Amino acid sequence: MRLFALAVKRKRWEPWAFASPSLALIALVIIFPLAYSFWLSLNNFDLSVGAEYEFVGAKNYQEVLFRDPRFMGSVWNTAVIIAPSLVLELVLGLGLALLLSRVARGRPIITALLAIPAMVSPVMAAMAWRMMFGVKYGAINNLGLQLGLIDVYFDWFASTALALMSVVLVEVWHNTPFMMLVLLAGIQSIPQELYDAAKADGARPWQSFWSITLPLLKFTMVVGVMIRLIDLTKLFGLIFVLTYGGPGSSTETVAFTTYLAGFKDFRMSYAAALSYVIVGGVLVLTLLFMWIQRLREARAA
Amino acid sequence: MAIAVERRPQVVARRRNRRRAQRGVAHLLTYLGLLVALVFFLGPFFWIVTTSLKGNEDFFTFPPVWIPPDPSLAHYAALFTRSSGARYFTNSLVISSLSMFAALVVSLPTAYAIARWRFGGGLLSTVLLVLRMLPAIALIIPIYIMYKMLGLTNSYLGLVLVYTVLYVPFAVWLLVGFLREFPMEIEEAAMIDGCSRLRALIQVVVPIIAPGMAVVALFAFIATWNEFLFAVVLTGIETKTMMVLVTSFTSGGTDMFYGEASASVVLGVLPAFAVAFMLQRYLVKGLALGGTKG
Repeated sequence: MRLFALAVKRKRWEPWAFASPSLALIALVIIFPLAYSFWLSLNNFDLSVGAEYEFVGAKNYQEVLFRDPRFMGSVWNTAVIIAPSLVLELVLGLGLALLLSRVARGRPIITALLAIPAMVSPVMAAMAWRMMFGVKYGAINNLGLQLGLIDVYFDWFASTALALMSVVLVEVWHNTPFMMLVLLAGIQSIPQELYDAAKADGARPWQSFWSITLPLLKFTMVVGVMIRLIDLTKLFGLIFVLTYGGPGSSTETVAFTTYLAGFKDFRMSYAAALSYVIVGGVLVLTLLFMWIQRLREARAA
Repeated sequence: MAIAVERRPQVVARRRNRRRAQRGVAHLLTYLGLLVALVFFLGPFFWIVTTSLKGNEDFFTFPPVWIPPDPSLAHYAALFTRSSGARYFTNSLVISSLSMFAALVVSLPTAYAIARWRFGGGLLSTVLLVLRMLPAIALIIPIYIMYKMLGLTNSYLGLVLVYTVLYVPFAVWLLVGFLREFPMEIEEAAMIDGCSRLRALIQVVVPIIAPGMAVVALFAFIATWNEFLFAVVLTGIETKTMMVLVTSFTSGGTDMFYGEASASVVLGVLPAFAVAFMLQRYLVKGLALGGTKG
């Protein structure tokens, strides 16, 4: 009681009072639903059958991890989309950042223009591109025909390989600007004196790129790639609009498969188990990301 | 010997010219590369805008019409009358604005507690970052079931509540940064004059960090405007957002609704354009923390 009185006197309650509204909301809208979802994943709750809970333990997880070829396929698809997207975004982003860092006049305006795709929602990006891929009136087929690159109207979503390629193209268009901005910030934080000294020592531009820019940009690149990697594991809106997982289920990502399990098949428990497997993966990536960040801070200090 | 050669004036001049020419070529290549990039990254926007302005007859010609000869707003009119575009545009505006305000009001005192009292000591900040990375798909299933039971689907309140909370981690992170830069002495002076903490925060700190709060607000607005998963699952006929409206054109093949679909995309990306220009300086931070991803 005295401790409490002391706390009140010293106003120890004040930070709690300030923080409590958001903590309460987070508990209500994030923590509680997550706990409920975990309980759900241990039951068999299928809305297409009826609103009955039946406790089944880890059965849903066993099915997700060992007996669901569709989920395994979606893990593979997600990886197949992520790998080339990350490489292309990094390479193109670095190239653009280097170009921008050499521009003396009009850099802010060019940067802002190039950054716009990253501000647009995945759904809108996918819709614009889906229309450009359109068979008869799409820009890509028509431009190809006019330039003589193709001789028939092409269906870009008819084959798995082409559909995956289209997804990667839109993803790269959408998020290369982000990588560019991150790397540009990194490049600009490298002290100019290093380059001046290298130049005085007779280094060629590509030599200073290899021995100054790249090594000093390493951490920035890792951080940028990690952020994109974590975001790419959640790839959903773009797939929803561009391919709806098709043809077949060949472009279904993990998030999209989970969405279908929940809101097309209404197998809520199973979808909850799926989402927990995804959360596990994202959590590992996030912890890795934070470890890298701390490493960078430690090195900077 | 070599030194003597270098000092000969013609050689020096020739070298300088060559270097200048090389620099000129490098300059040209830089701008050329950026031009190609601009065409690639902005081309789709150009195409979608011109498509939305085409007359119906312009769709069926070959070779295709790239720039409509007589642009018309007919598709926008059709979008607003036939597809209830006006209602969904308003829904997006209302939901994003309300979530933006609510997220700011809730996040500011929390950020203040972390910045001034080191509340939660590092742990809270870590938890917030983890929550920021949490995939939305993990929350949509329990929230959908809970909302069904509570009757919160197809309501503004339900969506605003989710968006507000989803945005709190990002807002707190950014606001802590702004508050740490802000000198503590100013509010302490106000408190010595008999102001309470809360009043000092509202009347002294807020006006000064208002620009920073505007940054957070604009990112929050875009994030909620862009959000799709919760919107598609939790909204109904009356509460659909622009993102959900756009996907309604994808069924039945996009060749069918080119005009209206492109008009809705133009309206859907408009805020992002505006905000990209206003927030140039903060784009990296905002995008890195997920400020536009919803």
